[in-house]
Amino acid sequence: MIPGSRSARIQALVAEQAALRGARVGVLDVCTAAVAALPVAGAGMSAMSRGRASHPLCSTDSVSQHLEELQLTLGEGPCVDAYVLGTTVLCPDLLAGELQRQWTVFADAALEAGARAVFAFPLQIGTISPGVLDLYSSSSVELDADEVADAMAFADTATLLLLDARVSETGVTFGTGASGTDEAGPSTSGTDRPDAAPFDDLGAYRAEIDQATGILMVQLGVGFEEAFIRLRAHAYARGIRISVVAADVVAHRLRLPRGTTPSDIQPPDARPPEEEP
Amino acid sequence: MKEQLMARTFVELADSLVADFDLIDFLRLLTDRCVDLLDASAAGVLLADPDGVLRVMAASDERVRLLELFQLQNHEGPCLDCFHTGIAVSVHDLRDEATRWPLFTAQAQSGGFTAVQALPMRLRDEVVGALNLFHTAPAPISPAATPFAQALADVATISLLQQRTTERSTLLNEQLQTALTSRVLIEQAKGKLAERRHTDMEQAFTTLRAYARSHNRRISDVARAFIDETEFLPGLSSRSS
Repeated sequence: MIPGSRSARIQALVAEQAALRGARVGVLDVCTAAVAALPVAGAGMSAMSRGRASHPLCSTDSVSQHLEELQLTLGEGPCVDAYVLGTTVLCPDLLAGELQRQWTVFADAALEAGARAVFAFPLQIGTISPGVLDLYSSSSVELDADEVADAMAFADTATLLLLDARVSETGVTFGTGASGTDEAGPSTSGTDRPDAAPFDDLGAYRAEIDQATGILMVQLGVGFEEAFIRLRAHAYARGIRISVVAADVVAHRLRLPRGTTPSDIQPPDARPPEEEP
Repeated sequence: MKEQLMARTFVELADSLVADFDLIDFLRLLTDRCVDLLDASAAGVLLADPDGVLRVMAASDERVRLLELFQLQNHEGPCLDCFHTGIAVSVHDLRDEATRWPLFTAQAQSGGFTAVQALPMRLRDEVVGALNLFHTAPAPISPAATPFAQALADVATISLLQQRTTERSTLLNEQLQTALTSRVLIEQAKGKLAERRHTDMEQAFTTLRAYARSHNRRISDVARAFIDETEFLPGLSSRSS
């Protein structure tokens, strides 16, 4: 991570919310930090999936909670579009006629719930997209370029938190002496380990990380999301950076063992029948 | 002679910027033309993500070593300097810069490169990325070629603005997000395809691009379908499935 970078700043804001709560960093802290940092009234997050039922994860107030539930029930709204299109959806004013035509039921219901502006940011790393971050304001408001970039960084932080929670489910013990401290269970992110990178972000060597994940799909015969989680778990367990592990995988200096992962973390819809070439 | 070729290249590039063009395919074409026209050995287009990290969007050669050389410049090197200052950087002899960029010069030289250039991709007051050119000894940087290199960097910037994603996508940030996501998908698919076929990353990229072209689709869409196996891609997906 680049010190003083946007993601470093956003992650510090999220960590601060967790500290105020006296808990480990979780996706709720992303929502509360986003509300504190941006000109919005509330934030909510939903876990989205094509194969399984989507469900709300957390929200900062009752309006946010209602908006999450509305979109998942109606199957329309900025959150659904952000997930399906994989892009940011900005609606500074729900009263704009164009939007009311686009989301015929949602627009009116959201206005009635007390939202006037809604913004949706997909949580995604290529084909991995575990959910959407939604922000709302009770008055019409535009986010400027800087605020949009901040919101995207909040979404990226949430993505890694959700995936790292899955790393914890694999039962990995974190390297650098933090082993045995994640009895708090799978809802936590394991980010209280003592090494310097509480969120090992994707950083400067991004291409290798993405390539390595593709390679691991074939080597381990697993879906993409699990391949990514296995890569991170391997790095965490040994206390080394994910970019280093990725470079070793790409150079074929490292092969991860097949089939050591509990099958319950495999998404049932993401397991391809790989064959050996 | 060369001027004619340059003119033809700009016409070719402008013609490629049709509605619904494929940004990644376009930028690859642009890097290939940089190599042809500017006597470079390798070329790459790097874009800064919202975090200020330079990410490879296209390269004249997708092999791991070259991509590493681009990415290494997030720590030190001509692209980083160019990105921060907005000013073109030309190094005619890499040996002169060994103290300024020890890591970068060592790795560039071990790749056989002797000279390097970075041209800013400028958008109004903002620098959004850089065009990076590498040269080997028999074909050093020609000073006369620098304006052409800058013009090609400008075309790369224009192409980024030109891509229309959704009708509401008006901010540079959103267009950048779409572009960066496309590239992530392609890296993921390259890894999977190269491992399955025992090929290198350049061959994997070329295979994906050939498939996309022959089926009139974007490389990133093909990459996504290939990774999540939501559809059967004849000739790309596992033969038995």
